[in-house]
Formats: sequence, C-alpha cells, structure tokens
Amino acid sequence: MTDGSVYLDHAATTPLDRRVLEAMLPYLQGALAGGNPSSLHGPGAAAREAVEEARASVAGLIGASPQEIVFTSGGTEADNLAVLGLAAADPGKKHVAVSAVEHAAVRGAVEHLESRGYEVTRLGVDTDGRVSPEDLADALRPDTALVAVMWANNEVGTVQRVAELAGRCRERGVPFHADAVQAAGRLPVDVSRVPVSTLAISSHKLYGPQGVGALYVRGGVKLAPILFGGGQEGGFRSGTENVAGLVGFGAAARHAMEEMDDRIRHEEGLRETLASGALRLPGVRLNGHRNERLSNNVHLSVDGVEAESLVLFLDAMGYAVGSGSACASSTAGHKASPVLLAMGRGEDEAFNAVRISVGKDTTREEVEGFLGAFSTAVSRLRELSPLYIH
Amino acid sequence: MADRYNPQVIDHLVRPRNVGELENASGTGESGDASCGDVARFTVRIQDNRLEEVRYKVYGCAACIAAGSALSELAGGGSLLDAARVSKSDLEEALGGPLPSGKEHALTLVLDALHKAIEDHWNKQAGEMLVEGYGGLRMGASGEKTVVVATSGGVDSAVTALLMKEAGYDVACVTFRLHDGERGSRSCCSPDTVLFARDTAHRMGLPHFTLNLKELFDRRVMKDFVGSYAEGNTPNPCVSCNAHVKFHAASFLADKLGFEHVATGHYARVVEGPDGAGATMARPVDETKDQTYVLWPVPKELLARTVFPLGDYRKEEVRRIAEDRGLAVAYTPESQDICFIPDGNYRGFVRKKVAAEPGEIVDRGGRAVGRHKGVVDFTVGQRRGIGIAAPTPLYVTEVRPKTGQIVVGKKADLETREVRVGGLNWFLSPETAGSVQIRYNGSPVACEIEHVDGGEVVARLTAPVFGVAPGQSAVFYDGEKVVGGGVVRRNT
Repeated sequence: MTDGSVYLDHAATTPLDRRVLEAMLPYLQGALAGGNPSSLHGPGAAAREAVEEARASVAGLIGASPQEIVFTSGGTEADNLAVLGLAAADPGKKHVAVSAVEHAAVRGAVEHLESRGYEVTRLGVDTDGRVSPEDLADALRPDTALVAVMWANNEVGTVQRVAELAGRCRERGVPFHADAVQAAGRLPVDVSRVPVSTLAISSHKLYGPQGVGALYVRGGVKLAPILFGGGQEGGFRSGTENVAGLVGFGAAARHAMEEMDDRIRHEEGLRETLASGALRLPGVRLNGHRNERLSNNVHLSVDGVEAESLVLFLDAMGYAVGSGSACASSTAGHKASPVLLAMGRGEDEAFNAVRISVGKDTTREEVEGFLGAFSTAVSRLRELSPLYIH
Repeated sequence: MADRYNPQVIDHLVRPRNVGELENASGTGESGDASCGDVARFTVRIQDNRLEEVRYKVYGCAACIAAGSALSELAGGGSLLDAARVSKSDLEEALGGPLPSGKEHALTLVLDALHKAIEDHWNKQAGEMLVEGYGGLRMGASGEKTVVVATSGGVDSAVTALLMKEAGYDVACVTFRLHDGERGSRSCCSPDTVLFARDTAHRMGLPHFTLNLKELFDRRVMKDFVGSYAEGNTPNPCVSCNAHVKFHAASFLADKLGFEHVATGHYARVVEGPDGAGATMARPVDETKDQTYVLWPVPKELLARTVFPLGDYRKEEVRRIAEDRGLAVAYTPESQDICFIPDGNYRGFVRKKVAAEPGEIVDRGGRAVGRHKGVVDFTVGQRRGIGIAAPTPLYVTEVRPKTGQIVVGKKADLETREVRVGGLNWFLSPETAGSVQIRYNGSPVACEIEHVDGGEVVARLTAPVFGVAPGQSAVFYDGEKVVGGGVVRRNT
C-alpha cells in the first residue's frame, strides 16, 4: 500500500480510510486525546461519549442495539470470547459443534476446549464450502454448549446459510456464534433478522484501524468473560478502551453502512472481471460458491504452481495478493489449506491456491493490469514446474 | 532467524537460472512430493567426472525455487567432486544468508534432487545390479592419497572419513541405499539416514555420493537370508553384504572417480602378509568391537586397496575424536541387529516371505515327540519355543527342511569336534590356520584343517563346541591374523 504496489489483498486487511484517520486524529493528539472513559473528569467524559458514539455506529451496521456491542481488541478476541465465554456460561454442557472451515480464531478456541475434555463435532462442508442445515440439526445434542459457523469464509469467500443454521439452533435452544469478520460491511449482516446469539466483527476489514473489533451479544444470552479486571464493557471485557481505535471503528462502520450498496456493486463488477479473466488460463479453477460469495473475493487454484512462489512472483511484479489464508501462510510455514481439504480437494491442490481480494478503491485499470501480470507469472512458474504438463 | 526472504531469493525466483530439462541427460533425480507441497527435479550431463550441465525444475515455495537456481549455478560447469561438495551452508551463502524460519527444508530438497541425479548417472552406467561381481580395475602404482569412504551417518564411518582427511587424503564419501526399511526413505518429510550422512560429509567439507544398491542387496543378501532360513540354515546377512555388495560398490566408485583406496568404519586391520602373501586382515586393537568375523569374505583383491583406520583405535577414542572435532553424528545404538530388520524379529520377517508349513518334532531315534508350525522358526542350538515338556531341557540338534522335521535332543547331543566348512575365502595359506571361530562373539578354538572333496575343509577341534549351525561363518585365525573363512556345511 505504501510501496506503490497494487493492493489486492483486502481480505487480509484494508487500508485505513482517510476519513477514518481524520476522525481518529483528535483522539490521538490535541484537545480530545488522552481521556480515560472511566474517569469522572471532563476529558474522561469526552472519551466516554466518543466510545458510546462508536458503539452506536457499530451496532447500526449490524442491526443491533448499542448495549449488545462488546468492544474487543479484534476479531480473534471476539471469537475467543464467544466460544470460551458461551462454553463457560453453561459449564454442565461439554459438547461443541463447529464447521470444518472456521477461521483459526474459532478453530483454536475450540481446540482449547477439546484439550479440556470437550467433545467436538466438526461439520463437514460441500464442495463449495457450505454446511448443510440438516447436518447441523443432526449434530445437536442435549449437552451442546454452542455451535459456531462463520458467516463468510475468509479464504474461499463462500457465504453460509446463516439464517437457516442459526434458526435450527434457536429451535433447540443452543447458542449460535457467527464469525462475521469478512462479511460485515461487504454484505448485509442484520442480527434483527438472523437469530445468532453472538457475532464477531473486526474494524480493519472495513477500512478502520487494526487492533479493534467487537462481539455482538444478543440481550439475554449468557456469556462469561475471559478477561478480568476493571469491569469495562459491561463486565464482559475488562481493560481501558482503545478510544482512538474505537472512534475509527465507529467511523468506518458508519461509512460502510452508508456506502454498502455502492461498494458491493463496484466490487462485484471487478470480481467478475478478475474471475472471468483468470479462468481463461488453462488449469485455473475458481474455489468456493460461484454466486454465494463475498463481493470482493476471487480464490483460484492454479495447477502446477505453488501458492507462495506465485504470491512472491506477483509481489515482485508489483501486485500484492494472498496465498490461501494470510494468517496461516505467515506463521505456520508450509501447510496445506484446511479449508480446501475440507472441501474435498487433494493435498496437492491445497498448496496451489491464491486469493485475490479487491476493495472499494480498487480500479478497473488495476484489475486489468493484474490479469496481465498473473498470466505472465503463471506461465513463468509453470515453465519451472516439474508437475505441469504443457 | 530472518522471517522475510533476502533480495537474492527474490532475484532467483524472478530470474531463475538453468531452468528446464536436459535432453540426453546422464542422470535425472527427483525429490519431494506434491502432497508435501514441493518437488524438485534435476537433470545433469556428466562427462569425464565433470558436471558439464545442470538443468532444474521446481514446484514449491520461493525458497525451493531460489535454492534450485542457486544450486544449479554452484554445481554446474565444474568437477563432479566439487558439485558433490556443495553444502547447505554454501547454498545459504549464495542466497544472501539464512532462509526464513521453516524454509530450511528447501536446501535439503534441491540438494537431494541433484544428488539423486548423480546417483542415477552411476546406475545408468552399470545397470540395476550396479556392481555385481565388480572386481576393480587394475591398480596403478601411483600411490596417490585418494580414498572413497563408505559412510552411514553414524559415528564410526564419520570418524573414518575425518581420519582419512586428516591423514592428507582426498576423500569422497559414499552412502549406499540398500533397502526400503531405512528410516524415512519413502518420505520427504522425515529424517533419512542418507540425508544425515550427506550433511555429515558436507560439514567436513567432503563430497558425498549415493549409490542405489537395492536390487543387488535384495538378490544377494535379503533373498539369500530368507532362502537360507527356509533351508534350515542360520545365515548372517552382514557376511553376504561384505561378500557381494559393500566393498564392490566402494571400489566401483573409487575406480569411476580415479581414486586409489576404499575405507570403511569397520573395526579390523589390513596388514601385509608374510613373504609377499599380499594384504591380509587382522583383528583390531579394540577386541570388544572386533568385526573380522563378518569381514572374512571380502575378496583379496579388494582388501588390497582397503583401509580400516578404526582398527588402530578403541571405540571410546573414536567417540572422543568425534566430540573433539565437533562432529554431529547420528545416534547409532550398539547393536548387531540386522539393518533391514530393525525390530530384530528375524522369524517374523522370514515368515512374511516364505510359507511355513507345520511338521513333526522327532527325537534322535526318529520317534515323533510333537508338532511344530514351521522349520523357519528353528535353528540349531535353540532351546526356547520347542513346546515339549521333558525332564532335561531339549535343544534343536538338527533342522530337516526336506522332511519338515525338527530333531531335538539333550545339550550333550549338540557337542561337536568336527566342522565342515565350504565357500572358502583365504587370505593366507590354509595350513597356517591355528584356530577357528564360529560365533560373532565366540572364542576361537584350536583346530587342525583337513582338505576334503569339493574344495571344502574339515576343521578338527581340540575342544568340543556346542550348537554349530549350518550357514554360520567359520573364520580361521593365526593369532591376530585372519587366515580365511567360510560357511559351515551340514555334517552329513
């Protein structure tokens, strides 16, 4: 973003919106900076007011009431609070059901429960990456503490039938958590119409600052905290609030709501150009659901080319895209994508996936330039590949 | 440890050198697996021990592509020995320093593919059996200090290579692929004895080669082992390997490289025999590690060029040398287990290869006293597993595969003062034999030799021995010197 390259990895993080930065600046330096929302004095009250205004904006984005929003340090903390907090709130129940394609934040929290003796059902997905509502209903048990299925997948972009999945859980009185980190701001997420119990969102996926997120907790849902201290955020999340960050999150949520229709239209147009252009190359396939997918996500398997080398080759040509899931590829070394494996792809294919994700400010010229670079990079790496038969 | 790639890596990624495949390659090598996420393939053209051309292809991460490219530059266009010496640290240096954490396997992958291509080159020259019956070229009298050392990644062979290097020799290390039971030999993601041996050689700055002897080893050692058991004999596969595989292969490579000597990490000595008798073998300084009992079949013309540097050292000294020189070597348990049966269950191994049919257990008078589940379960001298209650302990005194019978008797029935020995290999005149040893850790027994029909001998012992099994080795000594050896035959 700063080195002049074309940024096509908005699923990993989005650039900070200039308007968001301007909204934040007064809380970082100058008259409004430095107040602790818990303080009784003037600066404290100003900070409290700013945080509550942000809360109202974030609530508005997803159709919630402000008192149902718990601010966190980001999507990962929100997911952990939901999974661990829902389980701890009903300690007699020792079963959890999750989709096999969850983000690492949910997967990791569930594995932690598993290590503490919980039984875990991992719901398989179809070749598009979707969980079947019937499978979910079959997995529910009297001792099921919670179910978690993400709203939209961070890798392949597939959107789940969340309303139906959450509905099955509500019928049986089982709490349902949705990770909506990729979905919020990119498609209508409305908790007044979809009966989720909790829902995680993150600021830096919608042009807000990094390090800020929220968990929606529906009124009446029992949730135990996982951080203890000063009792901020209604006791659900102790710790002094990240005031400037929350102000940015609020501004970003407000812009996302106002501009959502335009953004979706813009991104979907670019997505289709990208997909149809890339699919013209031989041995390239689109992963995820053809239509029920995020507006900005194109996820491709490229025969005979390993993802990391393709990403770095494109980087050297001035295009930043993601390999599989950005979180996994930067820390865990060399691992096949568990999402693609769950979708029934072979291990060899699961190393060959790249994710191109456009944003609200991506231009048609950039996308067309990318398609040229992509074609060059793929053919150069295929010349190198012992696995690709020309 | 860096967590980003150096610019050199990206340069090799975007402008890879020597990409492609050679037509008319002298060797092709591949390492890795698509399901592990990376595959490297190298083709090489070797002429007059020069690696004239290298081409490579890689499917994998940027580190693998860049490492392949850098290796092709370092190894191509020079001597084969220099190519075989290129190490992981040489590659790292060419790539501008350490790779990001978790990417080091790229170096192993491309080196392995190149080395397999060179290995393929040797196989293409000599065929699948590679070195069967290889007797060596006529030796020149150049006296050049050059040696091929057979290494396994263990401490003994590593110190052997080091001692030869320190004695001023040009050393090339070679590791043999003998069977698929080697740890990790089928997988790119697990430790592998060949990879370890290569690393060990490279850390000493020595070139390393591999030879694929699986076909030869299977036919001359493993099948022989199984067949011998099925015939009621008690074989020693280490002896077969020394007779047909290991020394022939090391000599083959030495001749290909124009090298004079071969060396192994065995505990034995090569000494000059009396009156121009040529090279002969002698017991080592460390009597607890003496391996002459399994080395008797080494052909005399190959022994003449062989060096056993460890014969002059005790095992403790060898370990100390390894520690002093900072040699990281594989942990090798002190065991006489057969290398291709790592769990030590010989009978289970044999039973998988041959059908075992039940039969009679008879006493020395021919009277049936019980049943057994297959002759392969028994060996002469065995006491356990007979399954018959008797007032005095019963021993297997004979195995008769033709009739499917096991003969049992008392311990005294195992006593013998005559051992017939065939398949002989002499280093010295048979008349000089003063004693014979019939077990790996046994004591030699004084004997006299009588020549009998078929070029075999009968050793008449001055004291009785118990449980001599056909198929075992009998090795003749004159004091410390090995006179020769052979295989125990049936007395009938």
